[in-house]
Amino acid sequence: MAKVKALKCKECGKEYPVEPIHVCEYCFGPLEIEYDYDEIKKIVSREKIENGPKSLWRYVDLLPVDNPSVGLSAGFTPLIKAEKLGRKLGLNNLYIKDDSVNHPTLSFKDRVVAVALSKAKEFGFDTAACASTGNLANSVAANAAASGMNCYVFIPANLETNKIIGSLVFNPTVVAVEGNYDDVNRLSSEVANEFGWAFVNINVRPFYSEGSKTLAFEVAEQLGWKAPDAVVAPLASGSLYTKIWKGFNELKTVGLISDNSPRMYGAQASGCSPIYKAFKEGRDWIVPEKPDTIAKSIAIGNPADGPYAVKVGKESSGDMEIATDQEIIEGMKLLAETEGIFTETAGGTTIAVLKRFAEKGVFDPDEIVVAYITGNGYKTMEVLEGHLNKPIHIKPSLHEFKEKVIGIKVKK
Amino acid sequence: MESIKLKLIYPEDKIKEPILSRVCKNFDVEINIRKANVTENIGWLELEMTGDEDQIEQAIKFMESQGIEVSPLEGQIFLE
Ligand SMILES: Cc1ncc(COP(=O)(O)O)c(C=O)c1O
Ligand SMILES: [Zn+2]
Repeated sequence: MAKVKALKCKECGKEYPVEPIHVCEYCFGPLEIEYDYDEIKKIVSREKIENGPKSLWRYVDLLPVDNPSVGLSAGFTPLIKAEKLGRKLGLNNLYIKDDSVNHPTLSFKDRVVAVALSKAKEFGFDTAACASTGNLANSVAANAAASGMNCYVFIPANLETNKIIGSLVFNPTVVAVEGNYDDVNRLSSEVANEFGWAFVNINVRPFYSEGSKTLAFEVAEQLGWKAPDAVVAPLASGSLYTKIWKGFNELKTVGLISDNSPRMYGAQASGCSPIYKAFKEGRDWIVPEKPDTIAKSIAIGNPADGPYAVKVGKESSGDMEIATDQEIIEGMKLLAETEGIFTETAGGTTIAVLKRFAEKGVFDPDEIVVAYITGNGYKTMEVLEGHLNKPIHIKPSLHEFKEKVIGIKVKK
Repeated sequence: MESIKLKLIYPEDKIKEPILSRVCKNFDVEINIRKANVTENIGWLELEMTGDEDQIEQAIKFMESQGIEVSPLEGQIFLE
């Protein structure tokens, strides 16, 4: 009956009951949901999904949740055929998966938080928490507010408050911790252990991260039940990237698509690229870094799923690349100018890396390539200051307009 | 009693030093190593440390003062 069999350690394979736990007691490996795909095969079908809700919950049969109650309108974002950008890059079948318009807080985090908090409610938690200064905190705070959960957000004390207005508006308790990021994390995991709160990226992380699979499910359905040939996605903790891969694999396992999964191309900022470096150096372990990049949303120096992302890169015959801050800004502008989509720095990184791979010729021109745009540019407008054209100042006269704006010489 | 899971990363020049045994001698904590990887130029290990809160805190401060990077195994803050 049950679609979820157990939690299973990704390292040693030891199984655990379905509880809010996330680390193997024996080897400290991360726990992952173990599904009963034979059972799922019996209950899923394309028709059932197509007739389901217009949200990520249409894929509930492939998610570790029984009663979705939080984030009911998350997901179901547009997949756009990027004709103009495609022409520039020599790609005839380029698509943008546009999670910059996810509901309610405009990033793909609305997917993972919907799944994490729905599961948290099933477990009986009444308090949601996270350590984040950005997209994750926005989404946890908004979804907690809407679903009547208490909410605690942990941030480092030296952060300016205007960085977290997008979370404060939902009125969570914001705890500003004196110390660096590691101190904030350490305290968060201690609090998670002691207070029995649902820390979305700590004790309910195995459930949380499954939400990213819906980025694969939706793309496959939107392409007419087909996997793309290649995808480009950003890497922070490495969770999103590995779960997109898992999502396509699952669709094949349960018989919803027949294609092989895509080649996975990963994008990091050059100012924080521990996964890229491990991949390129053929290491299966990560050397942590101190991030120094404008791409804050993907700046994780010690990525939890880094080793698994490296593995997916290899297994899928994919590759990884990095983008400088300048290239990231150019990527944001390129997507905006060609497709009318304003993404944040993570999306700029993805586009910059997509461009680099296209120029290297890793894609056949007719291949279906999907770039995942995971966040919204209206949240981090300050990074563009000084990088855009200035308004043309004129007096309110047609004469000046013609001369200065249109460039017609007007005789006096 | 508290217990915390930590990842320690040793810089190249510290790999040969017996820092963990000093931790156990100087602080009232117990250490249980679960995973380790030590090569010529890098060493990391994952362990569980058990003891009173202030002893754990002081042990962490000590290790950090010895140039070891101490990060919690669980939890990652997401910036922006
Ligand atoms: C906009 C955006 N894109 C991508 C990511 C990467 O997510 P992951 O940690 O799953 O690799 C994040 C994570 O914070 C994000 O905010
Ligand atoms: Zn294990």
